[in-house]
Amino acid sequence: MKPSSLIAQKERGALLQNQRGLAWLLAYSGILSAFALLLISNKELSLLDNAQIVYMMAGTVTAAGALIAVIMGADAFAGERERGTLVPLLTAPVSPAQLLMGKALGLVSAWLLMYLLALPYLWAVGAGGQNLLQAIFYLALFGTPVVLGFGYLAMALSARSGSVLSSMLTSLIVLLFSASPLLIGPGLRNSVIGKAIDAVNPFSGALNTFDSVIIDSAPFSGQLARLALVLIWLSITFLAARVTARHPNFR
Amino acid sequence: MLIDANHLHLNLQGQTILEDVSLHLAAGEIYGLLGPNGAGKSTTIALLLGLYQADRGDLKLFDTEPRDNVALHRRIGVMPEHAGFYEWMSANDYLVWYAGLYGGLLQPVDSLLQQVGLEATGHKPISQFSRGMKQRLGLARALVHGPELLILDEPTNGLDPRGRREIHDLLLSLADERRVGILLCTHLLDDVERLCSRIGILDRGRNVAEGSLPELLGANRSGRRYRLRIRGVPDNQQLPPDLKLLRRDGDWWHVEISPTMAADPSRVWEDLLVHGWQYTEIHAESGGLETLYLQLTGAATDKQEEAA
Repeated sequence: MKPSSLIAQKERGALLQNQRGLAWLLAYSGILSAFALLLISNKELSLLDNAQIVYMMAGTVTAAGALIAVIMGADAFAGERERGTLVPLLTAPVSPAQLLMGKALGLVSAWLLMYLLALPYLWAVGAGGQNLLQAIFYLALFGTPVVLGFGYLAMALSARSGSVLSSMLTSLIVLLFSASPLLIGPGLRNSVIGKAIDAVNPFSGALNTFDSVIIDSAPFSGQLARLALVLIWLSITFLAARVTARHPNFR
Repeated sequence: MLIDANHLHLNLQGQTILEDVSLHLAAGEIYGLLGPNGAGKSTTIALLLGLYQADRGDLKLFDTEPRDNVALHRRIGVMPEHAGFYEWMSANDYLVWYAGLYGGLLQPVDSLLQQVGLEATGHKPISQFSRGMKQRLGLARALVHGPELLILDEPTNGLDPRGRREIHDLLLSLADERRVGILLCTHLLDDVERLCSRIGILDRGRNVAEGSLPELLGANRSGRRYRLRIRGVPDNQQLPPDLKLLRRDGDWWHVEISPTMAADPSRVWEDLLVHGWQYTEIHAESGGLETLYLQLTGAATDKQEEAA
């Protein structure tokens, strides 16, 4: 087996066999459960229509996925260092590119698991509506690069920073900043600055696409610019991780 | 030559960490790297492993440069000072996984665990291991691919006397029978005296001594201690600074010659004659590695660290 596959295998083990990994997955499921319950009760009160509920659920899955990806990414190098397992990896015949690839594949596996866990929730809130399949498809297409991008950003910081905490906090600030156009409300979001941030913000890009395709049933052709945005985000963050992981901070 | 390091200099964040450090290790040799905390031992190891790039100097391991040289890692086994593991795994699973990074185990995992005294614990989760067991597992990890060079940072920390003796025997057999070169970084001078054919002492990032134990002790005559009895010293007489009063026994004063004069005590004898003091019962003893170490690295530094 290739070193990168072995490292990815270990990352999957850390998520599924380690108590801490299982606790994060449980927390993720808890967030989705609470949110799904809230949405279903609103649906029954006819406060929200089906498409809006599916859109909100897709957004929640992306946000919760990005949050877990940040936690995993921050742990990728700084966590190994804090546990005393980084030097044995760096002194094994594993190139920095293979090490990063293993970590990156581990993150992909984690997101795949989170995506699969989200499907029953999407079905629970959106069954009976016409855009459930679009939601599932666009969550994969747009959610994946956004979530992985935040994970790779955290990895890039983790390889350089002194601790898991500092890399996690920095990544969370970026995540919060990315989500800010959604938090500040439609008025500020339509301002010049709000629009400018929206245009370059991968998180907004994914949510605006969910809005277009799930609520407005817009065609795929209208989402190409946003798809390019989230793919650029993914490429930049992965490149940053490659650069910093070449010589990670090991002490 | 497994390690050929000459005049290495390293600055980190504007601070000089290593200055003119040299180190040489041949196959089958055990080299003890000594020095107080912060002397630069772990940094030297990191440099040897290619984790840092020296600012100046010449460094070769197996005749190749270690920086960004992943292929070289197949020939080196490393046991870092703070060895960690994936604690949800069992020792067996961990070693099989880690060996996979090298292409697979060279010997059955049970035999490897037996070699380091961990037989019958292979199926236990590492989280249940004691500190000593983790040290042994760290050594097993370093041996997993049959390295030609072992770099061990404090390998016997946390081991009981029997465990230490077992690890000593293992290291000696690796060096003697398999011609493995071993760089041993430790604070335990007993380990060094028992195992090492050559010793290097670092202090504040500099080599302050290098050689075999007899060479170092022979070269450092100031490591000797002289005690003697003198008579005829007036009661209110201050002793010369080269003499330290240990105790008085009637007319006889029991004194020790200061370490700085011990290398050449002839001036002290002349002083005693000038004063007209009678001296007798000269007791000379070799200081050993501990005395040498304390002199070369400055006992004051250790005291400061203890106080801190």
